[in-house]
Amino acid sequence: MIRSGRGGKSFRVVAILALLGAAAFPLYWMFVTSTTPSSELFAADARLIPKPSEIGVYREAFGGTSVTTWVRNSAIVAVGTTVLSIALAIFPAYALSRFRFRGMGVVGFGLFITQMLPEAMLVVPLYAIFGDLALLNTLSGLILANSAFTVPVITWILKGAIDGVPIDIEEAARIDGCSRLDIVLGVVLPLVAPTLAAAAVIAFFHGWNEYIFAQTLISDQDLRTASVGLAGFVGELSTPVHTVMAIGLMYTLPAVIFYLFVQRYVVAGMTAGSVKG
Amino acid sequence: MASIKLDRVTRTFGTKTAVNNVSLEVPDREFLVLLGPSGCGKSTLLRMLAGLESVSSGEIHLDQRRVDQLPPSARDMAFVFQSYALYPHMTVRRNITFPLIMREFKWWFHLPIVGGMAKRKIEESPNVSDLVGRTAKILALTEMMDRFPRTLSGGQRQRVALGRAMVRQPQVFLMDEPLSNLDAKLRMSMRAEIIKLHREVGGTFVYVTHDQVEAMTMGTKIALLRDGVMQQFGTPREIYLNPANTFVARFIGTPPMNLIEGRLEEGALRIGEGVFALPPHLAAVAHGNQAHVLVGIRPNSLTIAAEGEGTLAGKVALVEHVGAESVIDVRLDHATTAHREEGEGRNEVMITESGYSDLRANDTVRVRIDLTDVVFFSPDSGLRLRPEPRGATPHPAS
Repeated sequence: MIRSGRGGKSFRVVAILALLGAAAFPLYWMFVTSTTPSSELFAADARLIPKPSEIGVYREAFGGTSVTTWVRNSAIVAVGTTVLSIALAIFPAYALSRFRFRGMGVVGFGLFITQMLPEAMLVVPLYAIFGDLALLNTLSGLILANSAFTVPVITWILKGAIDGVPIDIEEAARIDGCSRLDIVLGVVLPLVAPTLAAAAVIAFFHGWNEYIFAQTLISDQDLRTASVGLAGFVGELSTPVHTVMAIGLMYTLPAVIFYLFVQRYVVAGMTAGSVKG
Repeated sequence: MASIKLDRVTRTFGTKTAVNNVSLEVPDREFLVLLGPSGCGKSTLLRMLAGLESVSSGEIHLDQRRVDQLPPSARDMAFVFQSYALYPHMTVRRNITFPLIMREFKWWFHLPIVGGMAKRKIEESPNVSDLVGRTAKILALTEMMDRFPRTLSGGQRQRVALGRAMVRQPQVFLMDEPLSNLDAKLRMSMRAEIIKLHREVGGTFVYVTHDQVEAMTMGTKIALLRDGVMQQFGTPREIYLNPANTFVARFIGTPPMNLIEGRLEEGALRIGEGVFALPPHLAAVAHGNQAHVLVGIRPNSLTIAAEGEGTLAGKVALVEHVGAESVIDVRLDHATTAHREEGEGRNEVMITESGYSDLRANDTVRVRIDLTDVVFFSPDSGLRLRPEPRGATPHPAS
């Protein structure tokens, strides 16, 4: 039980601030580092306050590199992965939840098996296949490769949520004249909206952060994603740390904004009140 | 409007037969109650009518139309679920309008903005909004049309579910224990409301319940099932007065019918030490039938009496006061009873008396039997014994 009263409340405020600080500090540290000149980077007394005079590093980052293109490519890949994976996962998830068919266990287990194979192992065969299919050097190819990893996870997550939708509601819809497709799109999906949002978060971040495929399957400079572009700064002899931090920050912010946008949908309790338990 | 005909309807799940060879015919505008204990197949039968469950063999006809091969939406039946099954993401108005929207549904209604606009257009069209408005008024839901199901009480949700069924103006209303989640008081008022609905809206009602009081008060016809087999089909009065077998006798009536072992002897009935002269209509049953019988006596045909002819001696075991009447359990000295399926109380009978009984446990009493409404059953088959020449077809006991 959480204690109420003034003491309890202030304790909670302090605890929340501490957690928030721990989560936000790396971002702040990135910002501070990005405004620290290279010469001061390894000074004994690290600075904690950003240096406004060094803010020009952001202009440099935008002007001197293709960071806007990279972030745009990353966004295309992330959004594409999200849309494709959810679209592909909904129907198998529904089928696994509602139908009994021969080989059902094998299908379910097969989805798990795909999660056991590391991406690095699949890069080479995937490269060969994508070469044949003319998917190398395309963002759609990258979206496809990423989705192959997110679809099984999302299928299982959605299956779990659909299991929780009372069958009575679906039967009522059948009697009211819904086809199976109408039921999935019009009744089941709205009821699993919170899980759908959570699945979207998983797919989006997978697409946004993915590195190995983006590095291997894309060689065209203009199609690079931010993860690859950022890694390109790490040189053999020197690394412009403050530029990397500036770009890193720009790479992080869209993802944070996406999460803030989606998280309000991640609320439970949508089905409360439909069926008396 | 529609009559319903079930012709040898059977449903098996693997090796288990949930509904076994059920045939019945209900004319239009009847209120059929499917009654029976848990697991007797009554819900399965209802779901087969609705099309939610397929029929293993047999046929279902609505008027002259065979419907058992049709999908649920093509049968023109509405279904009210025990769990209400409202759409939680829709307002009360949308829940009630939903079946009407589905009638004009196009694939592009699934599209986010356009679809929403199209659905709203149907919802706001004069015909639909008028019908929904009237339905809401009948069910006293007008005030809560824009609320979501989760904010409603059980009774209100049940009314929304009824509303969703009513707007379709179906030929048949199917209801699967719609009141079992409500408290006793609300259940009584909803019971009255459904009876009223049946009178006003018309249509044939099929109502599933395990509550025999509900069945007796609401139904114009009752089909009593046990282990998937129909035990008896008839009006509540027929079933109450003329139970087809001992199962029906035990199931119907609160408290249920007393079954006392007796012996038929030349125009008389012997129970223990008591010998009772049979009235003519019972003497006709006795003629030609076996000597050992189970005597079915309603608790209100037994009375506590002073010493005298035609009485049985016993001791009071328990007195229960239920307001206007008292239920008195009497342990008979020289008789064996068979109405309790569990082994206990093998010589107890239940007697109802109006008013507040002053009897106490262990009082010595005598019990008088009014033989007018007594029925006889065979102790072996459990079937009702009827006069030889004229008599309805017997129903199997199990």
